[in-house]
Amino acid sequence: MAENAKSNTPAKVIEKELSFGPVHPALIEPYRIRLFVNDEYVEDCEITINMAYRGIEKLFEGLPVDRALLIAEKVCGICSHVHAFNSVRVVEGGLKINVPERANYIRVLTHETQRITSHLILLAHAFEVLGHETFSMRTFLLRETFMDLMGYLGGNRVMASVAVIGGIRPRADLTEPLKRAILDRIDEFEKKYLNFVERVLADPMVMARLTGVGFMTKEEAIKWYATGPTGRGSAWDFDLRRDMKEYKPFDFNIITQDGCDNKARIVVRALEVIESVKIIRQVVKNIPDGPIINNEWCVARMDYTTAYNESYRGELMHSYALDDRGLLRNYKIRTPTITNLAAMEQVCIGDHVTDAIVTIASCDPCLTCCTRAEVVESGKSRSMSELEIVKKFGWRR
Amino acid sequence: MSLKVRARSNSIHVMLFYSGGCNGCDIEAVNALLSPRYDMEQYKVLFTWNPREADVLVVSGIVSWQLLEPLKKFYSMIPDPKGVVAIGSCALNGNVYKNMVGEIGTNDEIHAPVENVIPVDVRVPGCPPRPEDILAGVVKAIPKLLEAP
Repeated sequence: MAENAKSNTPAKVIEKELSFGPVHPALIEPYRIRLFVNDEYVEDCEITINMAYRGIEKLFEGLPVDRALLIAEKVCGICSHVHAFNSVRVVEGGLKINVPERANYIRVLTHETQRITSHLILLAHAFEVLGHETFSMRTFLLRETFMDLMGYLGGNRVMASVAVIGGIRPRADLTEPLKRAILDRIDEFEKKYLNFVERVLADPMVMARLTGVGFMTKEEAIKWYATGPTGRGSAWDFDLRRDMKEYKPFDFNIITQDGCDNKARIVVRALEVIESVKIIRQVVKNIPDGPIINNEWCVARMDYTTAYNESYRGELMHSYALDDRGLLRNYKIRTPTITNLAAMEQVCIGDHVTDAIVTIASCDPCLTCCTRAEVVESGKSRSMSELEIVKKFGWRR
Repeated sequence: MSLKVRARSNSIHVMLFYSGGCNGCDIEAVNALLSPRYDMEQYKVLFTWNPREADVLVVSGIVSWQLLEPLKKFYSMIPDPKGVVAIGSCALNGNVYKNMVGEIGTNDEIHAPVENVIPVDVRVPGCPPRPEDILAGVVKAIPKLLEAP
């Protein structure tokens, strides 16, 4: 990239580097962005992650499988439920544990509740980076509805710990008063939220900043494997919820946008919130009676098993094996941000430098949960690049 | 109330430092400090990202080795008198990352608790702590700043 720029332009032009982070107002999480700019246009971008490296995958080694949940849930604080959910799905698939229907409904309920909080935190962050404080604050206020519901359901606003092996925790059962509270709160939320989305889409200033910036075609999205809403904003109709057996009873739409720009990626998430509200309403209305946990199982040797789930940012993979004593071996997690990072780095190339952070934010980076892999080379530590991870673990199942 | 205390109490600035961990405390702290429901400014505490302007440092997370030096540097940049509020179980004792290890025995990647790295005045437990608790923790750090010479 640098050589091309030099050969096409006069020798006077000095390539400049803009570096943000690890602690910077525009980045909530610690990571470092280097933007190589030429005349205020981004020529290359480099994202350095791995600031929150905790060695999580190594911690799992040799733990009993039921205790693994406690760590799996703390992989990420924004998408805590999906990690716990997917972690138990691995062992349920491997040891053929039947999950009661009622437990599946409540897991889906928590999943969709947290999907809304995650999408709204992205909207709040994107508007804050855009400089529109009012929209950001309104989103934070709307988000509180679902943080409260998570608190009512699991007892904690963030780490609800709903899923356990074979079902859900008794504390998280859906009682009649809770059903009424959920329906009341989401009715109120939906009214306010639709108003808010209409207001955002009618705002000429915000739309002018978002439209036509950060262009990623469908072919590029598939090539870089931009999963989740990031890919769906580029008209790539791919959602794992379509194939998951937990989602069979529910009727919902997969939102795609063909704008392929920042606006499309943000609108996809804004509209997915409405779909999630639809699913929550179906859960509360159609939840069957019955047991919430199946205790008829015992740890046994399990071969390497993998489970995929549609996390809030895209495709999430958990896989592990159990040895003869039922202890965990080879825990591997692949979070959506690992593949989305490649898209983030490429998408902001060619745009004005002021739009680069918005573009990166619109791809919804969650660097904490993707910070696990580390390669140590010649005494100097560096993080594993996306390409190496893909070569080692493959794009897809 | 002396003139100094009166002047200082109107200009308390808080800075957030996120030193690794799972993001949960971080989002809740941003919630507490910024969002309209748990408004920090009702206690005359303002939010800043500039360490040279800050009085209170809110630290969350385990201290990963990449952020060990930045944390010390940010602490030294804050002018005296300064207070440090450690929020979340990770900052207090390392949480599951330090205490629930499998066969490797000890986790050398992290430098938690935070008080091993910088002096801590107020501790807010919880995983993650509720925004009300974070507010209470920051408010508890204020008297130290006001009474300092």
